Amino acid sequence: MSDWLSQIKNAKKSCLVDRNLKKVHYAFENGREMVEEYNMDTNVLTRRAWKSKKELGLQDNWEVEMGDPEPTPSKDETLIQESSNQPFVTRRNTRVNLEWRIRNLPYPLSIYSVTVNPEEGCLVIKTTNNKYFKKLAVPELQRLNIVLEPCKISFSHKFNTLIVVYEKPNELIEFEKLVLKEIQSVKQKNHDMDCHPS
Amino acid sequence: MAAAAAAKIAEVRETTRVERIGAHSHIRGLGLDDSLEARHVSQGMVGQVSARRAVGIVLQMVRDGRIAGRAVLLAGQPGTGKTAIATALAAALGHDTPFTSMAGSEIYSLEMSKTEAITQAFRKSIGVRIKEESEIIEGEVVEVQIERPATGVGTKVGKLILKTTDMETVYDLGGKMIDSILKEKVQSGDFFSCIRFTRPFMSTDCKITRLGRSFARARDYDATGQQTRFVQCPEGELQKRKEVVHTVTLHEIDVINSRTHGFLALFSGDTGEIKPEVREQINGKVAEWREEGKAEIIPGVLFIDEVHMLDIECFSFLNRALENEMSPIVIMATNRGITKIRGTTYKSPHGIPLDLLDRTIIVPTQPYDEKELREILRQVYSNLCSATPYYPSIRCEEEDCQMSDNALAVLTRICKETSLRYGMQLIMTSSLIARKRKAHEVEVEDIKRAYQLFFDEGRSVQFLREYQQEFMFNDVDDKDDMEMETM
Repeated sequence: MSDWLSQIKNAKKSCLVDRNLKKVHYAFENGREMVEEYNMDTNVLTRRAWKSKKELGLQDNWEVEMGDPEPTPSKDETLIQESSNQPFVTRRNTRVNLEWRIRNLPYPLSIYSVTVNPEEGCLVIKTTNNKYFKKLAVPELQRLNIVLEPCKISFSHKFNTLIVVYEKPNELIEFEKLVLKEIQSVKQKNHDMDCHPS
Repeated sequence: MAAAAAAKIAEVRETTRVERIGAHSHIRGLGLDDSLEARHVSQGMVGQVSARRAVGIVLQMVRDGRIAGRAVLLAGQPGTGKTAIATALAAALGHDTPFTSMAGSEIYSLEMSKTEAITQAFRKSIGVRIKEESEIIEGEVVEVQIERPATGVGTKVGKLILKTTDMETVYDLGGKMIDSILKEKVQSGDFFSCIRFTRPFMSTDCKITRLGRSFARARDYDATGQQTRFVQCPEGELQKRKEVVHTVTLHEIDVINSRTHGFLALFSGDTGEIKPEVREQINGKVAEWREEGKAEIIPGVLFIDEVHMLDIECFSFLNRALENEMSPIVIMATNRGITKIRGTTYKSPHGIPLDLLDRTIIVPTQPYDEKELREILRQVYSNLCSATPYYPSIRCEEEDCQMSDNALAVLTRICKETSLRYGMQLIMTSSLIARKRKAHEVEVEDIKRAYQLFFDEGRSVQFLREYQQEFMFNDVDDKDDMEMETM
């Protein structure tokens, strides 16, 4: 726990406020970059993304860990891509829960099973009709070395969407409070433009 | 009813698409045994034993990968198998070693200087094997749907359904992907794998691989190639992140990193010139990776056919480029004797300056003897038969479509007197003639007929000598001469 927290403390942080969103950029000592977005009304994290660095070329992209994924590029550029009516995962964060929403899953609730894979530290979603299978990594807990517990999982199905909820362990809640305190000490910059274009 | 039957036949054809056959498509390797001795007839290669043995040693040199910048010159008369040997070397090296083949005249372009073209060819022949985490799609193909627009123009639309034992997903395909799926002939039951979205897009990553057929779909009557493996349907997720080892060429890295073009240039084909700073930067990076143990350098082979078409500037550039530690093994081929070096008035053996010749090891190729010619013709013919499905039997094995012995003898004689290339042309034409009279075998009369219909170069020259006066523009000259005489 302390390792990740100290990384955050040592990172070079900059902060920007856009209406009720607070955006924080972290530049870590090992060269990685992360961006977080907090809702200032609730102080809950809404988005988190990592900058992925590739060895070979110049194309850097943001990998979204939490929140809505980046829009996909236009079709003619891609070579192979999941069809838009196929299931896709989005992540959400609330004060007490970690949530996954898997949209475009038409099968009834009885089909699914959600289990824990302790070796890889991920949740495994299976379907009895063998139509869908997914491993959901939980990076928040991995970074803090918290072991997944099957009793904290619950899931429901509504409007073609499977919602998987994992109750946040106390350690994570405590940790998030510490991070929030850390962020509040960073000097904020308002999104207003300094220059005034006529 | 009949129409439906016809449609069904067309469908069957579709799955075993007709391959196009080139002059060297029957070659599968150098035909050497483990001690690098050349077998007389093996892997589509015939005769030329000493040259093949020499190239076998070059092959060993490439595989060792330690020695940079060696040059080999294949010298011999036309039609003695220089290009065949180079093709065989490429086949023997396998997929992972870069092999670039170019003709000497390819370097003359308005978009690029000659030296840039040579440098690019050099860098295309050096591979870098990198370990990288990338996203990979692996699964068994359930269905491939590709729709062409009815008008014939416009983009194709494609869908691919893949499954593992646990899941099934529909993928949309882009235009390039559709092309490569058609090229690889992916069909349901195949095991499909594709490294995806490794930004940057690498041409090698987008290449899909057909790793084998699924066990569940295997049938007795499936006509499968030699390399087909049967595999179990994979488990778990279709898309995984994996540490993948892949080989890219230095040129590809150059192109991706030259900002003005970007990775799209890899697909459009025109890359233009690349700045030397970019190359230097990449050399440094690659050296760094190599030291960290992340990457491995695989020197490949650059084959320059018709090397006498290079001019003196290129030759002196080659001299220098060969000394670079990042240079591949260069194989050159020429069919010229002592001739002028292009761009000068000096004469030199093979049209190559002596200082470059001094840096090369020269492998001569000898003309084929009658027995070898006969064997080559037989091989080319059986390759033709096995690759074209409309021959008498459905699966043309060698014994099914034979050429009668007499016909082969006649053809060999023709080869001996004219050239091997002309003989190979006659194979195709005479087999078409044989097919026209619904025969299973090519007979002497078919070859005779083809020989009468199509002239070889010798007879053509003779014909011209006899009838030159009746051709165009000859009369003008003649008139001038006559006028001169009358004056």
